[in-house]
Amino acid sequence: MADENDNDRIDDNQKPEKMFTLKKWNAVAMWSWDVECDTCAICRVQVMDACLRCQAESKKDSYGKQDCVVVWGECNHSFHYCCMSLWVKQNNRCPLCQQEWSIQRMGK
Amino acid sequence: MSTPARRRLMRDFKRLQEDPPTGVSGAPTDNNIMIWNAVIFGPHDTPFEDGTFKLTIEFTEEYPNKPPTVRFVSHMFHPNVYADGGICLDILQNRWSPTYDVSAILTSIQSLLSDPNPNSPANSMAAQLYKENRREYEKRVKACVEQSFID
Ligand SMILES: [Zn+2]
Ligand SMILES: [Zn+2]
Ligand SMILES: [Zn+2]
Repeated sequence: MADENDNDRIDDNQKPEKMFTLKKWNAVAMWSWDVECDTCAICRVQVMDACLRCQAESKKDSYGKQDCVVVWGECNHSFHYCCMSLWVKQNNRCPLCQQEWSIQRMGK
Repeated sequence: MSTPARRRLMRDFKRLQEDPPTGVSGAPTDNNIMIWNAVIFGPHDTPFEDGTFKLTIEFTEEYPNKPPTVRFVSHMFHPNVYADGGICLDILQNRWSPTYDVSAILTSIQSLLSDPNPNSPANSMAAQLYKENRREYEKRVKACVEQSFID
């Protein structure tokens, strides 16, 4: 059919150019922790920084960072280990959700 | 000297200034961050409306693991406030959490003014009138509100 031939001819002569070629793609995702997760709700310092107690006790150059670890409970709430260990002596519950406190993991 | 309790209180004060809850205010006394003065404005649509009630809050070095001692300086007529101004509120005693700060304490006391708990009375007369003679209760509360302007 004539129409088809015409179309073929056009296709042969004017191959549609690709608009662009994707050579490299860097995915950038922006994310942030929930404020509640990020900040130790007991001393109100970010869990990645040393807690208030360690900041008060250590010299300015060390900030006590190496000892002040983060602890996550089974409830997924996180606190400084220093802050939480003082609290559980008095009441073995998560101060945020009141669940029985048991440690899921510790670290930084 | 800056102890963990004092550092925490500085943070509480900063938060109170940056994000002030409605109807309450508080600040450390000039020479001692462990003792605060606070004011709670009587909540709207309650007999406490228009009152400005003064309180003192005393912290220990164990804060925030131990709750502070909070006391009304203004004369109060409320089922959960003792004659000496002491407050019977679970979160200041056995339900204390170290995640509370001064903002949370003051807003809890403010909501206690709206919703007294007559089942754990600190002032049995106020509790009884609250349950049995609301009109007389409100009259006594109004007298406190007027007194709070003078104090
Ligand atoms: Zn902490
Ligand atoms: Zn620490
Ligand atoms: Zn929890």
